[in-house]
Amino acid sequence: MASILCLETSTEVCSVALSVGGRAVTVREDTSGKNHALLLARFIEEVMKETNLPFSGLDAIAVSGGPGSYTGLRIGVSTAKGLCYASSLPMIAISSLEAMAYHVINKPYIFGIEKKESVLYCPMIDARRMEVYASVYNHAMEKIRRIQADVIDQGSFASFLEIHKILFFGNGADKCKTTLQHPNALFIDHITTSACYLAELAETAFNAGNFVDVAYYEPYYLKDFVATIPTKNIFHSNKDTNLLQG
Amino acid sequence: MNRKKNIVILGIESSCDDTSAAVIRDHVMLSNEVAGQAVHKAFGGVVPELASRAHQQNIIPVVDQAIKKAGISMDEIDAVAFTRGPGLLGSLLVGVSFAKAFALARNIPLIEVNHLQGHVLAHFLQEKVEEHPVPQFPFLCLLVSGGNSQIILVRDYLDMEVLGQTIDDAAGEAFDKCAKVMGLPYPGGPLIDKLAKEGNPNAFIFSKPRIPGLDYSFSGLKTSFLYLLRDEIAKNPDFIDDHKADLCASLQSTIIEILLAKLKLAAKQTGIKEIAVAGGVSANSGLRSALLETAEKLGWKMYIPPFKYTTDNAAMIAITGYYKYLKKDFSSLDAVPFSRVVIS
Repeated sequence: MASILCLETSTEVCSVALSVGGRAVTVREDTSGKNHALLLARFIEEVMKETNLPFSGLDAIAVSGGPGSYTGLRIGVSTAKGLCYASSLPMIAISSLEAMAYHVINKPYIFGIEKKESVLYCPMIDARRMEVYASVYNHAMEKIRRIQADVIDQGSFASFLEIHKILFFGNGADKCKTTLQHPNALFIDHITTSACYLAELAETAFNAGNFVDVAYYEPYYLKDFVATIPTKNIFHSNKDTNLLQG
Repeated sequence: MNRKKNIVILGIESSCDDTSAAVIRDHVMLSNEVAGQAVHKAFGGVVPELASRAHQQNIIPVVDQAIKKAGISMDEIDAVAFTRGPGLLGSLLVGVSFAKAFALARNIPLIEVNHLQGHVLAHFLQEKVEEHPVPQFPFLCLLVSGGNSQIILVRDYLDMEVLGQTIDDAAGEAFDKCAKVMGLPYPGGPLIDKLAKEGNPNAFIFSKPRIPGLDYSFSGLKTSFLYLLRDEIAKNPDFIDDHKADLCASLQSTIIEILLAKLKLAAKQTGIKEIAVAGGVSANSGLRSALLETAEKLGWKMYIPPFKYTTDNAAMIAITGYYKYLKKDFSSLDAVPFSRVVIS
């Protein structure tokens, strides 16, 4: 029975939960937008106060490791690192997609579906325009397709949809509804990321000793950031006004 | 802890492309660690997303090193001071989030610091070995860096007023952008300084701004520099290589003239003769000698900080935190970064 403080900031939801033995016992959550820089530390303080637990009473810090908003992940992971370093606690990182999938797969009755072995689960996190971060799991939480950034079109997930019903959910799923019009494509609304969904996975990771390196851990950005190296010679092009304005 | 308690501050700075942590006891620097980021060189400037990611990797090793080198234990830290801004938001977020979490977990006060105030108060950092003279209040501080060009009236540690500032580019930006045009690698400022030593400062004339009051402008100079090169290269494709030292010397002397003209005016208007310089550009050897020369002529007392305190560093954040600590000027956990220049 570990006491683990869970932080989830990978989407517009800012969420903190204290997990005891894999159950979220105290939660602070804001779903109104990207105000994580202001709210996260405050939520942590409130959760710790409400549970009357000092940081020395914790066993670990769990953080959502992405994919998701770069800024959100930056705030969550930097905060987790500060807490772990200052309190000498181990750090656990959990995939934001896996946490959502775990929640849905284990509580199918909440969503009015029966747990059928042929159903697949596809958590999606919004990545702007028609892009989502997504992966696909089966009923046993086995990842049957790796996490990747998908640009959604009519043919997306076609090979899976031919054989399986797929449940799409998460804050990236909504915008895919009109494009993924296959009869096997089912959508569950209003599933967002939450620190509560990290709780059970964090407990499992803790018991397995599955920790990440506190100093060098990096969230799962999914995409390498590609900056371009300027190559043009301004004196041999007619675009030198760029430089004047830059 | 039984021994006499002095005030120990951990400072954290992550506003641009250097991750830094420092520990001071009262105003004495015990450690000042800086991890630079070589990754930006290839791009000719700081790439914000890459800077933020590198801060995330550097923050714990740098803080840990600072604490170890200071020879203190974590329990001795009385407060955490951090740069709240101005700077790159993504970069600041790493330091701000880390500092808040650290203070929260250790149950110690959190102190937000304005980066610009930090540059000014770097003058009050002392080393263990010997104390150096510090500016007397009120004094004027010329703050010149890649992001700032300001003349600040400093009435007290935490009582400052900006008398003038750049309305467009910073002085350091003018150095770096002109260097880029000449094909010099980033950051170009130090290279221009080096090349200028072999050139003729009167070889080329560039336009100087006519801005009222104590404000600066450097964008016109940059344009004037660019147009000269464009016109000359049309006649001689090797113009830059043939005249590199003269170009650097002329550019540098123009920037220094612009900086000094307003500084002299500010000194005259306020009647203040205690003059300090701060920020990365104060490492420029041409600026240093011009300042000392002017000080000699006008009877100023000139304060130039050691090089390591002129570029971005956490010791200057820690010393500012120290003066705020004495006034119990603490921050709440709600503190968020800001990107724009303000000083109070």
